[in-house]
Amino acid sequence: MDKEQIYAVIKKHLLENVEDLQEADIDPQKSMKDYGANSLDIIEVVSCAMRELNIKIPRSELAEIKTIDELTNKFVANSSVES
Amino acid sequence: MNPRISLTVRDDGVAHLRMQDKANQNVFSDDFIRELIESLDWLAQNEQVKVLILSGLPEVFSSGADKQNLLDLCAGKIHVKDLLISERLLEMPFPVIAAMDGHAVGGGFIMAVCSDLVIAASESRYGVVFMSLGFTPGMGCTKLLAELVGPYIANEMMYTGKCFKGRELAEKGTNINYILPKAEVMPQAENIGLQISEKNVKSIRLLKQALSASKKKLLIEARVQEDTMHRISFAFPETKKMIEESYGK
Repeated sequence: MDKEQIYAVIKKHLLENVEDLQEADIDPQKSMKDYGANSLDIIEVVSCAMRELNIKIPRSELAEIKTIDELTNKFVANSSVES
Repeated sequence: MNPRISLTVRDDGVAHLRMQDKANQNVFSDDFIRELIESLDWLAQNEQVKVLILSGLPEVFSSGADKQNLLDLCAGKIHVKDLLISERLLEMPFPVIAAMDGHAVGGGFIMAVCSDLVIAASESRYGVVFMSLGFTPGMGCTKLLAELVGPYIANEMMYTGKCFKGRELAEKGTNINYILPKAEVMPQAENIGLQISEKNVKSIRLLKQALSASKKKLLIEARVQEDTMHRISFAFPETKKMIEESYGK
């Protein structure tokens, strides 16, 4: 899966889980927190996206991630090659 | 100067207990539990009280257990004491309205389960995360959660540990009295409080005694099983690891 597809999955879950967020407003260089996501929202976005993408990353490795783009890159690095 | 719990009792018999330990997100630290229990005990002694509105911070109602207590449980150092909170709430001699404008997670959500009327916010999240931390649910959750959300949704909440948005719970259909926009939660609680306060305090207390009997029985039943499951599941080596990872910043 390429970065664009992975980003699309993250974006989908972001829109589902964060109140009053429009797709056009999403800037990958920003943090989910900038859009009003709280820690429970972020856990939900990340775990739903990982489930859909069939990726498993320990929480400790996700802790330092600051922006949506960094999260996307982390997923790209961990996504399986077969698809 | 900034107490973890604020407590007021009005002349009309409406009491308000607000959990406001902002620094710790209303987690059940030892100090927090002690203050909460003291406040509830004090209220239970007050014969003027007709109804209690139980609320938290706008962001978080309560996040349940704190890390140190869970790790102590893993080490077998202490016994589950947050069960005290469930028991105390069920024993209140007047109805309790849980007004949850903020998130309620784990034991925090069980506080609502142990109340008589429940109001939640569409935007906030509610869940019982025990299993996500590696151990089985406690505080009476296994028997009492189904009363509030129905048995199959209770199963989903317990097995998945997912924190649902209030509006998701509204779509599913539960027994939660009201699921409203955040800003309307406290006014609604106040409104119901006022309606109850118009009734005779002696009859309110008589009715509460009758209506809470079955839940008290359920808690006693739950405790036997949950204690046994805790003794086993807190001793799993994976549990300690999961707790440490989940609470890590």
